[in-house]
Amino acid sequence: MNKKKFYPNYFTYPAVILFIIFYCMPIIAGFALSFTNWHIKRLYTPDFIGLKNFIKLFKDAYFILALKNTVLFAVLTTIGIVVIGLLLALLLNCAVKAKAFFRTIFYLPAVLSLIVIGIMFKAVFKMDGGILNQILTSLGLTALTKDWLGNPDTAMYCVIFVQIWKWSGFAMAIYLAGLQGISEDFYEAATTDGASAWQKFKNITVPLLAPAFTVVITMNIIGGFKVFEQVYVMTNGGPGFATQVLNTYIYNEFSKGSLGRSSAMSLILFAMISVIAVIVNKFLKSREVQM
Amino acid sequence: MASAKFKSMKHKKQVQSVSLTIITLTVSLVIIVPLLIVIFGSFKNTAEAQQFGMSLPSVWHFENYIHVLDKGNILQALKNSTIITAAVTFIVIAAGSLSAFVVSRKTTEYTAFVYYLFLLGMVSPIQIVTTYALLKLLNLSGTYLGVIFVETALQMPWTMFTLSGFIHNIPRELDEAAFIDGASPGRMFFFIIFPLLKPIIATAVVTTAMGAWNEFMVPLYFFNSSSKWTMPLTVYNFFGQYSSDWNYVFADLVLTALPITVLYLCCQKYVVAGATAGAVKG
Repeated sequence: MNKKKFYPNYFTYPAVILFIIFYCMPIIAGFALSFTNWHIKRLYTPDFIGLKNFIKLFKDAYFILALKNTVLFAVLTTIGIVVIGLLLALLLNCAVKAKAFFRTIFYLPAVLSLIVIGIMFKAVFKMDGGILNQILTSLGLTALTKDWLGNPDTAMYCVIFVQIWKWSGFAMAIYLAGLQGISEDFYEAATTDGASAWQKFKNITVPLLAPAFTVVITMNIIGGFKVFEQVYVMTNGGPGFATQVLNTYIYNEFSKGSLGRSSAMSLILFAMISVIAVIVNKFLKSREVQM
Repeated sequence: MASAKFKSMKHKKQVQSVSLTIITLTVSLVIIVPLLIVIFGSFKNTAEAQQFGMSLPSVWHFENYIHVLDKGNILQALKNSTIITAAVTFIVIAAGSLSAFVVSRKTTEYTAFVYYLFLLGMVSPIQIVTTYALLKLLNLSGTYLGVIFVETALQMPWTMFTLSGFIHNIPRELDEAAFIDGASPGRMFFFIIFPLLKPIIATAVVTTAMGAWNEFMVPLYFFNSSSKWTMPLTVYNFFGQYSSDWNYVFADLVLTALPITVLYLCCQKYVVAGATAGAVKG
């Protein structure tokens, strides 16, 4: 059968052309324009300035802080989501009543807009009468109450908490799908051999969930580096620069009109995500094969 | 004796199940409590809503919603969000399924190129600044069409991979039968393959629609006029203006989250399938 005619390339053209124009071309253009003094006032006449944008950025303490905050955010949220998502999945995989109800509730945050969630959590972390401070007060822990989002020591952790709150249920769904694929026979055989619950978890559940771990870790690392909305809504990078991440800093520079500098930051973010995604995925995939 | 032992085991299991359920319920409160405070608060007066209490409103102020609909520019935003979400979803599904079909059916240098091209899109973040300039250049800046195209490009890779994973499992014999009957490729795809894709299309539609509805960054960068703002942008702006009137803010949050929550509750099967579709392929 004539494959060429039967599966014509032109079927792919609408998707490919749209994707190249509106996704790939900006990446290529961004690469080129990172080496220019491109500015909103010189939209069509940027001058080549070599590596100046990058040299300046790496001398900019705020950029370094944004870089550190982004990495901290990506790492801590991924750990939180991987662990809590797994605990939720294991809970629901046990003999819990009203499973469907709990699954619906745990997954719900994943479909809500981050703007809605961000504003809601401003009420949770508020200084005066905020929900968290109310709970602490009612537990007799008045000493711990504080302006959670206004305090540079806690603001970042609040934003991190919101990300974990939103995505743990999503991870749970992926683990649950993985758990359903593990045959009961393994556990029965292990029980006959007198294995403890922890041994069964460590030697059966975790290795056989390896593909689910790969997906959850890769997705959340990438998502963590791309963080924007909740920071923009909850703290706008503040107090001071305490929660500034790359995407909010890029937006600030864009608003000021420094397009070249902004593109240079986007390029750095792009490079970081691509490298980390490939490394993490390769590493986790190789572990899957071993097991 | 044996039956007594069996009974006690059964009893132990029941106790275990009940205690696990209590633990799960406690954990779920972390999600339920803030949501209930928002929902109840949206019906309270300003002073009562500010206390962020778990109690039901002492008087139900349904007029909060009328106030928000009036002041929050909600209906315009609802229209904007609907236009953008519908257009993005339609283009992504139509173009994505056609392309996924060819990519999953034959392996040539070109299809390999397409595969890696979209793989790039699964990983890399959008280059927003140059996209902004591109839209200016194409005279699409600040238009629905510009935002629709950018969001379409953003959503295409996931749909492409999810659909091609599914099409892979549809037997090729069907294509061959159609070919022998003299059907054109277009006819074969739309009348034979596409109907078989129903469950995965449902998943892709729901996932794409939710992504487009909740998208914030793209409209934030590309719409400067508030008349084109989508729901998440409008609620953010409303919060900026009314941040002390939590009852109105909460009502606006409920209105923004409502369409997506209803969609989720109705199509939960397809939503969760969307989460795990990527997981199976890895």
